[in-house]
Amino acid sequence: MLLFLFSCKDKLFTGSGYLSLKHMSSLNTRGCQGQEILLLCANDTVSYSNSTAVSKKPCMNLIKGLQRVKAICRTLRVNSAIEDLSQTYYKQAYQHDHFFKVKLQKKEVLGGCCVLVSCRLLNWPITMGTISCVLDADVAVVGTIYQEMIKILCIEAPITNVTDIMEAHCQEYKISLPHVPEELAESSKDLTKHAVALVELAADSWIVTGRRPVSIMMAAVYLAWQSLKPNKQRLKFSLDKFCQIAKIDKHKPALKRIAEIKQVLCKLGKEIPWVKEEVTPDNVVRQIEDILKYRYALLRRALRTHEDTLLAECQVSGVELLPEDTAPSQNSKPVDQTPHTSSIEQDGQNVETEKQPEDGGDKSEHSVPQEHKVPEPNWGKRELFAPPCVVNPKKRRRAAQPQMRDVASDEEISDSEIDSYIRSPQEARDFALSQKLLSLSDSKKS
Amino acid sequence: MDSSNDEALDIIVTNVVATFRTRCHLNLRTIALEGTNVIYKPEVGKVLMKLRKPKITASIWSSGKIICTGATSEDEAKLGARRLARCLQKLGFKVRFSAFKVVNVLAVCSMPFAIHLIDFTKNNRPIASYEPELHPAATYRIKHLKATIQVFSTGSLTVTGPNVQNVATAVEQAYPLLFECRKPLCK
Repeated sequence: MLLFLFSCKDKLFTGSGYLSLKHMSSLNTRGCQGQEILLLCANDTVSYSNSTAVSKKPCMNLIKGLQRVKAICRTLRVNSAIEDLSQTYYKQAYQHDHFFKVKLQKKEVLGGCCVLVSCRLLNWPITMGTISCVLDADVAVVGTIYQEMIKILCIEAPITNVTDIMEAHCQEYKISLPHVPEELAESSKDLTKHAVALVELAADSWIVTGRRPVSIMMAAVYLAWQSLKPNKQRLKFSLDKFCQIAKIDKHKPALKRIAEIKQVLCKLGKEIPWVKEEVTPDNVVRQIEDILKYRYALLRRALRTHEDTLLAECQVSGVELLPEDTAPSQNSKPVDQTPHTSSIEQDGQNVETEKQPEDGGDKSEHSVPQEHKVPEPNWGKRELFAPPCVVNPKKRRRAAQPQMRDVASDEEISDSEIDSYIRSPQEARDFALSQKLLSLSDSKKS
Repeated sequence: MDSSNDEALDIIVTNVVATFRTRCHLNLRTIALEGTNVIYKPEVGKVLMKLRKPKITASIWSSGKIICTGATSEDEAKLGARRLARCLQKLGFKVRFSAFKVVNVLAVCSMPFAIHLIDFTKNNRPIASYEPELHPAATYRIKHLKATIQVFSTGSLTVTGPNVQNVATAVEQAYPLLFECRKPLCK
C-alpha cells in the first residue's frame, strides 16, 4: 500500500492505493513528465533526520569537540598531520552509535584519545598520562575510552616504547642552567643519553616489562644525573630532594625501580676487570658510566659466569638434574615448540585433559598428585636476570589444597547436611527478636 | 631440537560461576530469617547464602534466579547448586532445579619462563593488547573460544572462559606464542 503525492499541470494530487509501473508510466504520458512524484510507503515512515539528511549541518557539540581536539594538538605542539588525523577520528567516533549519546565529559576524553592514537600511529611519542594531564581526567577513564575507541574504529595502534618517550620526559626536569646551581646542573642532551641507556639496560634485564613507564623513567633520570658527576654532594641527594630541585612530582614506585636497577648494575659492575673493590648498591653509581659504555660485553660475561657457577653447583651437589626440572637458561638453544601436556588441577589433584605422544614416559610422572611431587624451586632464582616479582615473590606460591575426594555433580545429598543450613523454629524466633531489638536500639540512638 | 624440555603445565581452576533457576518466587525475608550463613541485602534486593561444602557463595534473587560462585570445578558448582536448591526446598519453597549453566571459569597457570610483553603484543596484534600505564598484563582474547588470557611478564597467566575445556584449549593455543617471547628480541 502506498501513499502518493504528485503534481501535474500545477495541480497537486494525493491518494493511496497500489501504484504499479504501468500506472507510473501512464502518469508520465498525461503530461506529468518532469513533475515530481513522491512515493511514500505506508509501512516505512521516513524519519525527519533521513529526509533532511541532504542539508544536515554538524551539530554544535561536534564543532566544539573538533575545536577542543585542535586545542589539545596545539597544546602538545604536534604536527599538522596528527591534528588532521585526530579530527578525522573524532568525527568518525562521534558519529558512531557507541559514542553518540554519551555525556559531553566523555566526548572530551574521546577527543584526547583520538589525539593519542594519532600520535601513536604517526610515531609521535606520548604517554596516556600526558593526555590525562591535559584533559584533567583520570588515567583509568582515559584508558577505558581509548580501548573502546580503537575497538570500534578498528585501529591497530602501536605501543609507545619507553626509550622513545625518554627525551620528552627528560625535558620536564628543570635540572639545567639557569634553573639550578652549576654544580647540580646537567645538559638535557647528556642526561637523556645516559637515561636512555639505563632504560635499555633495565629493559634487557626484565625491569621494564609490565611496569608503569613513569617510575622507570624517573629512576633512570635520577641515576643518570648522579652518574654524570658522581661526587659526594650528588650521591647524598635523595630522590625526594632531586624531584624538588627538578620541580617535578615524585613517584613513589621510582624508589623501588632505583633499587632494582642498582642491583642489575651491581651484577654487571662485578664483571668489570679493572674494578678491584666490591661493587655494592652504595658505590655502584661511580661505575655507571663504564657499565653503560661496555654493557653488552658485561652482560655476556655476567651470563657466562652465572652459567659456570650453576654448572659448578650441580657438579658439587652431585644431583643429576632431570630434563623436566631444568628451566630454560637464557643462552639455551632454541627448543622445539610443541604444545605441552597440560593438566587441569582441582583441589590438588592433576587430571590430564590432553596427551601428547612425544613424551609417553613422562605421563605417569605428571599425573602424580601435587603433594607427592618434589616442590619445584622458584625458577627465577636460577636465572641471573628475571622479573623482580619472580625473584622475590611477595605472595606464597599457591599451596596444594587439602585433599578432597572427586566431586560428582549427581551424588546424593543427605537431609542432615541440609538441616545444618536451616534454623530450628526456636532459633528463627530468637533471631527475629534480636533483629527487632537491634533495630529499636539503633532508632533510639539516632 | 630439544624435546626433553617439555613440562606439564598445571592449570588451576580457582573459580567457577554458575547460574540456575528455581522456577518459583522466593521470599528473601524468610530465607534470611530461617536460613543460617545468610546475609540479607535489601538495598540491592538479594540474599547471599554461603555453603561450607562445597565452599560456594550463592546470590539469590526473589525472581528465583541464583548465581553460585566459588566452586573449583564444574561438578562442584553443580553439586553446590543442587544443595542450595534442596535448602530452599526445605525452607518451604516449591523449588524446581532448572536451567543450570556454567557461565564463567577462572583459572591460573604459570609458565616456567618470563615473557616479554611488548614482543608478545607486537607479534600478535590486534588479538593482543598491552597498555603498561593501565595494567601490568597483556590481554589476549581468543574470539572463537570466548576466552581471555591475561599474560604477566612473570609468566603467570589468568584465563577466563565459558567452561573448563575452553580454558584448557586457550592455554594450549597461547603456549607456543608465549614461548616465542620468552626472551627479549636480540639486537
